[in-house]
Amino acid sequence: MESPDNGLQKAQQIVLRWDSTVSEDARARMIFQSDRQEINDYLQAVDEIQHFMESITVSDDDQKSQKVNSAIQIAMARLEDEFRNILISHAAPIETESLTESISPIHMSSRASSSLSEFNDSDDYFGRGEDDSVHTIGNLVRGESSTTITSYRSTSSIREMDLIPSDSVYDLRCIAERMITAGYIRECVQVYGSVRKSAVDSSFKKLGVEKLSIGDIQRLQWEVLNAKIGKWIRAAKVCVRVLFASEKRLCNLIFEDLGTDADDACFMETVKAPAIQLFNFAEAISISKRSPEKLFKILDLHDALLDLLPDIDAVFESKSSESIRVQATEIVSRLAEAARGMLSEFENAVLREPSKVPVPGGTIHPLTRYVMNYISLISDYKQTLGELIVSGPTTGSRYSDDSSTPDMDVADHEGRSPLALHLIWIIIVLQFNLEGKSKHYKDNSLAYVFIMNNIHYIVQKIKGSPELREMIGDGYLKKLTGKYRQAATKYQRATWVGVLYCLRDEGLHMTGSFSSGVSKTALRERFKSFNAMFEEVHKMQALWLIPDTQLREELQISISERLIPAYRSFLGRFRTHIEHGRHPENYIKYSVEDLEMAVLDFFEGNAVNQHSRRRSN
Amino acid sequence: MPPTDNQGSFLNRISIRRNQVAYEHEIEDLEQFQKHVADRLSELIHPPEDTPAADPPETTLSIAWFRKLLDIFLCCEAEFKTVVIMGRDANSFLKSPLDRLIPEHLDRSVKALDICNAITQGIELLQHWRKLAQIAVDSLQQKPIGEGHVKRAKKALDTLLSSITIDDKENHHHTGKSTPAPTKSNNHATIGNFKSLSYPFARSWSAAKQIQAMSSNLATPRGGEPTGLVVPVYLMSSVLVFVMWSMVAAIPCQERAGLGAHLQLSKQFSWAQPMIGLQEKIGEEWKKKEKKGRSGLLVETQKLEKLGQNLVEFADGFVFPVEGEKAEEVTEMVVEMAEICRIMEEGLVALDMQVRELFSRIVRGRAETLDVLDQVNKMTTPVPY
Repeated sequence: MESPDNGLQKAQQIVLRWDSTVSEDARARMIFQSDRQEINDYLQAVDEIQHFMESITVSDDDQKSQKVNSAIQIAMARLEDEFRNILISHAAPIETESLTESISPIHMSSRASSSLSEFNDSDDYFGRGEDDSVHTIGNLVRGESSTTITSYRSTSSIREMDLIPSDSVYDLRCIAERMITAGYIRECVQVYGSVRKSAVDSSFKKLGVEKLSIGDIQRLQWEVLNAKIGKWIRAAKVCVRVLFASEKRLCNLIFEDLGTDADDACFMETVKAPAIQLFNFAEAISISKRSPEKLFKILDLHDALLDLLPDIDAVFESKSSESIRVQATEIVSRLAEAARGMLSEFENAVLREPSKVPVPGGTIHPLTRYVMNYISLISDYKQTLGELIVSGPTTGSRYSDDSSTPDMDVADHEGRSPLALHLIWIIIVLQFNLEGKSKHYKDNSLAYVFIMNNIHYIVQKIKGSPELREMIGDGYLKKLTGKYRQAATKYQRATWVGVLYCLRDEGLHMTGSFSSGVSKTALRERFKSFNAMFEEVHKMQALWLIPDTQLREELQISISERLIPAYRSFLGRFRTHIEHGRHPENYIKYSVEDLEMAVLDFFEGNAVNQHSRRRSN
Repeated sequence: MPPTDNQGSFLNRISIRRNQVAYEHEIEDLEQFQKHVADRLSELIHPPEDTPAADPPETTLSIAWFRKLLDIFLCCEAEFKTVVIMGRDANSFLKSPLDRLIPEHLDRSVKALDICNAITQGIELLQHWRKLAQIAVDSLQQKPIGEGHVKRAKKALDTLLSSITIDDKENHHHTGKSTPAPTKSNNHATIGNFKSLSYPFARSWSAAKQIQAMSSNLATPRGGEPTGLVVPVYLMSSVLVFVMWSMVAAIPCQERAGLGAHLQLSKQFSWAQPMIGLQEKIGEEWKKKEKKGRSGLLVETQKLEKLGQNLVEFADGFVFPVEGEKAEEVTEMVVEMAEICRIMEEGLVALDMQVRELFSRIVRGRAETLDVLDQVNKMTTPVPY
């Protein structure tokens, strides 16, 4: 057995031999790339010296302890380099190809035999990193002893991956142990943090996490931003559930139980700045300008983050990472607020949508389509929005002293959720706006057709969606139905009262001294008026459009039901009088069949060729 | 007696009088606001009279000074919001010149938010420097100081000093790489250490440019404006720009090359005087130090750098054992460095929280201002029928 002194001497020699500040050879090679024996010898030497250091009193200033103290420093400097070197050789960004969007349970096995092409079609989901293929192929080719990537599951959604092969982890732990025991924890943490942080950075690049400032984001067009949000959501899930979780696990594997919270310190060094950078994007979105078209993407973002919160809490559970948890929670509530604001904004925009140009033919206004689509989407999102929207809409004349603003009596809609109330309010507001727009039509009849079309469209949309129907309620639906029927009736009156007036009986019979019979002049006038009016109405209203087939037919039938019998009866009673006069064809222009056919032209949106109507009688 | 005319004009007169009184109150509020700001800002230069003699005034551009500055800003912001934005007739916001000035102020707020984020990263870097200094302190506090201790301290200090003095441009060059090259041990000073300090924004983002954009359209109000709101808005913007500018000058953050040493602040306002004085002083310092790179003017950083250099000198000439006068000198320096580390450790945590608070407040203030503008827009835009 060697004397303790001898052992110490040998140990020091080993350490000195590997001092890279004095030996060329020491610079040229790495201990941990040599054989196991070499590594063990070195570690043992360090332990020996450390042991000696602990047994002497600190204030000994004899030469021996000074030399030993010096040896420790040399050893620690060397170990620091070794540590860094091992870390750097395993600093490739995370494998993303095998991760799906939903991070469903997957078994990732060794990829050594996969073909190149598989990597070249790299999943565009995550965007393209600059050194994409180089890294993944590099990993394959390096021929490490254990490239198996197995995934662990610590919660139902977190997937930890092995970032560093286990034998390297073992080496790292051996080194960390010595450095920490010798009091060199700070250096250890710093080296670890700096290399792993740049690995996280390159993973970020690969996942497409961008470095955008708040100012940049304010300036982006919505379509661009929309796409970026989607990409961010996918990336964030991977970052929290896989990347950060894996880094945490790695810290635990290397540093756990080595004292002084080294594992937590290393983890923070590694991920704090990247985490902040990641969440800054979501934060920027949450404070950007509120415009209604962003609502649904904001809700997506809100939901994604809300979903991630438990994982964020799990990964960042230590005290030192509290600020990250706080930031994430704040962002979620800001997004909720933004969503609420956007809904209000939308309601206001619908109310004040200012376009005055009447839609040709009285058909469906683009605003109606837009609003109904929007409402349908809202009902799709009703689970999230239902939770976020807790108070009903601000209704009534709050915004104007003018009494002609829409109003909603909440009592009419008792028991409806706040979100449902908002939807009903939006429809009320839409109708109000449409009423205003209808006034720009010079022809009242057209205005009524317009209202009828649009409200009917609203009704159809509601009927077509069970969620929407359930939220709005059949009561209000009935009311809306009544409204468009009412508009149809008003149209009837506006157009046809005048026309049918020509076919009335009064005023045609003369009771006079010379003849009791029909005034031929008056009769001729009547026929002429009727023809003129009908022709006018026919020509004009053929150009109008009722897009819904059933509604169109219903209205045509309704017109026929009043027109045809009246004309038939009129013709029946008075045609002989005309036919016995001159040029009857000037007065009886239409047969009953002609009228029946003509009615079918109404609201088709096509011009009629007048001359094709000419028939000899 | 006919109830019409006489009663009508009587009521009119009362409401005019009431409006007038309200108006006078508003003007008074605005003037109070300016006075408060002036008072608080001058505390930065001369501590208030009731401060106990034992408390020295904060050194300009120290961490403690910044904490005070941010505190002052947060108070001003709160008062600004109450007095200028909320609870007043906001119709004037839609008229010239406020219809331009308020959006400009909001735009500055957005830039300030980005700067806050950059400063947060800068504070991380300062903590990183502190940790390096701490290594040196710990080693050199061992008694007696041996060769091992000295080498360890020197290694840490070398890293610290090169991090402090490295140029911004050079650092950008490093952060571009994503693959660290396999290293030999003597490359340790470049790889890993600087890459860990990668910046949060794209390379084109520059704190200096942001500040310049914020200050370029800050025009002195010409006066004679009826609402009395233009000056307070100008005040708030000026204070905002000043605070951001000082932070960027002192704390390392992305791309400060081109930071102007000068801010346009009008001398005519009492509250501007302290800022002008401070900004001249800081501007001078900036011009001197600009060439040296990224370290920034923060007092603690300067001290760390100086002490670090001295201790490296000591380390280079180290011979065991250290005795007598030399030992005393070194002990003194180490004690001083230890104190700075302590100040930094506590102070930076608190400062970081203040910056986050600042961020939050600016976000909220901006949202509330936008809300007010929205409301006013709704009220004045008729429902178009």
